[in-house]
Amino acid sequence: MLLSDDEVARYARQLLVPGMGVVTQEFLRAARIQVVGGGPVAGPAMLYLAQAGVGILLLDDAAEVAPEDAAGWVYPPDRAGEPRVTAAIESLKAATRWVRPRIHATGAEPTAALICGGGALAREGAERARRAGIPHVVADADGEGGAVISIPPGAPCYTCAFRIGTGVPAPAPVAAAVGALAAGEILLLAGGVLQPPQGRRIDLVRGHPRTSPTVRQPGCACATRA
Amino acid sequence: MSPAARLDVRAVACPLTWVRTRIALDRLGAGEALEVLLEAGEPLESVPRSAELEGHRVAERAPHPGGGWRVLLVKGSGAPLAAGSWEV
Repeated sequence: MLLSDDEVARYARQLLVPGMGVVTQEFLRAARIQVVGGGPVAGPAMLYLAQAGVGILLLDDAAEVAPEDAAGWVYPPDRAGEPRVTAAIESLKAATRWVRPRIHATGAEPTAALICGGGALAREGAERARRAGIPHVVADADGEGGAVISIPPGAPCYTCAFRIGTGVPAPAPVAAAVGALAAGEILLLAGGVLQPPQGRRIDLVRGHPRTSPTVRQPGCACATRA
Repeated sequence: MSPAARLDVRAVACPLTWVRTRIALDRLGAGEALEVLLEAGEPLESVPRSAELEGHRVAERAPHPGGGWRVLLVKGSGAPLAAGSWEV
């Protein structure tokens, strides 16, 4: 279905970005992006994805809204104690009428995944996406920066690209910056703007991004098993 | 040269003037012409310039009897501007 005049007006500036265009915008509208995690990286990322025109956001988070979740951007303080996914769904719908946010459920078949967080959540989320053969991005804020790892299908897996961080919680603006960067990466992959031949890792350190290719670790099973 | 398509963007503001023009150009084949009606001033300056930057040709530009300006753009044969590379 062609973009409506309202959609063209809404995404006008984005449509002017080199490599973007009507077809890319239609790809984004047809995309189903799973967002794993709901913390201060995921909240801003969800909003950016919704505002960019992603059609369906599948929210995958089991936590409840806590007072400190103000950093998540999508959790009003009066929703404390409710599931974060339901609070986020209402906030996203209020932000734009075109996004269809849903609670992720088995069988949803996302076309891409954004995993926000570290530890087991990142490992398991990335491995599910890799096995599903969909592009995915893993983002984690850490100390004064964070890392965003982009994994097109067939690229070295998250485990290959993983490096141990400091474990120090990141300030909210830093986490939001990492979330925005991750949203930009998954939009490139989900919108088909680029067909990258390899994965990459962006380390954000005190505001300075450093990009490097991901490299498959010798013996990693991701080289052979789907 | 008769246009293959016509577009009136006199009632819309930047950046929609160029966005709608580019979408209309995307739907044409190379060498086909698009007639665009534009208001004088910023739209008349920016839309033809943006079209030329993307490889299209401005074939005609004249005042339109109904108001504004009539610009005839001929679609170029080059590829549209590409996205940045996936640098690592």
